[in-house]
Amino acid sequence: MMPAIDPREERRKKRGRAAALIGSGTIIVSSVFQPGWWILGTDPKNWVLFAAGTVASTAVAASADMPRSRGRGSARGSGRGTGRGSGPTGHGRDDDQGLAGAAAHRWRVLAMVSRLMPRSAGARWLAEAESLLSEIAPVRRGAAIRSYLLTAPRLAVAMWVRELLRLARLGPRRPG
Amino acid sequence: MALRLTLQVQLVLQALLRDPVREMYGLELSEETGLQPGTAYPILLRLEHEGWVASRWEDIDPRAEKRPARRYYRLTAGGAVQASAALQAARRPKGTALRRLAEGGGTA
Repeated sequence: MMPAIDPREERRKKRGRAAALIGSGTIIVSSVFQPGWWILGTDPKNWVLFAAGTVASTAVAASADMPRSRGRGSARGSGRGTGRGSGPTGHGRDDDQGLAGAAAHRWRVLAMVSRLMPRSAGARWLAEAESLLSEIAPVRRGAAIRSYLLTAPRLAVAMWVRELLRLARLGPRRPG
Repeated sequence: MALRLTLQVQLVLQALLRDPVREMYGLELSEETGLQPGTAYPILLRLEHEGWVASRWEDIDPRAEKRPARRYYRLTAGGAVQASAALQAARRPKGTALRRLAEGGGTA
């Protein structure tokens, strides 16, 4: 099953990522295209400040996507109905080895990668990966996830080619 | 597009051909072939698109079973015939090459 994700928390994270990205992007673009910008100029001290700011905003953007620690109050860890076998987050089988955080992170990467594929193909790929990963031995789970991620780009390309061919066969849609 | 019979494809076909009417799910296939699940999945998908394999979602209540539904794969009637023919053909060139080597010591 898909890990239960609080939509409000997701929205907050999304906004955080977007803000950090816009902030760092603005700093970088402004410094590149306007050398005389007030923060930078020729003073090396300002450049150090700029570099530190960029690193900090990138870190904020990256950490916004990291899985939360296994706190009891965490939105993703609570409210899970099925317990064992209910995915790599929360109280799934990974808890045996204390790997919930890492597994949850990889899980999110799988979900993200599935969006590279056409909708139905991505949904099926993810559902099948989820089904398999919930049953595989915890020691083999990491390698299995890696194998899914390694083959995903080629699969995504193949799926898109197939989808485009299918659409080409169908021809242009007629209104009405 | 013709199906390329790589070693991995052959392993999957062999596993499915052991009992052509039996349905197998991804993990079972991966254990039987020794392939990683991520490697076996695109192969199964390709076989399905070629019409050699049919698949279906298991009809269960995931909450009652405490696990997600499995996707089961089995060879179609035509697929079983084509798969065994393809596997035989894949084995043949090696046999021929070995025979030629044994007879004439190669072409060099």
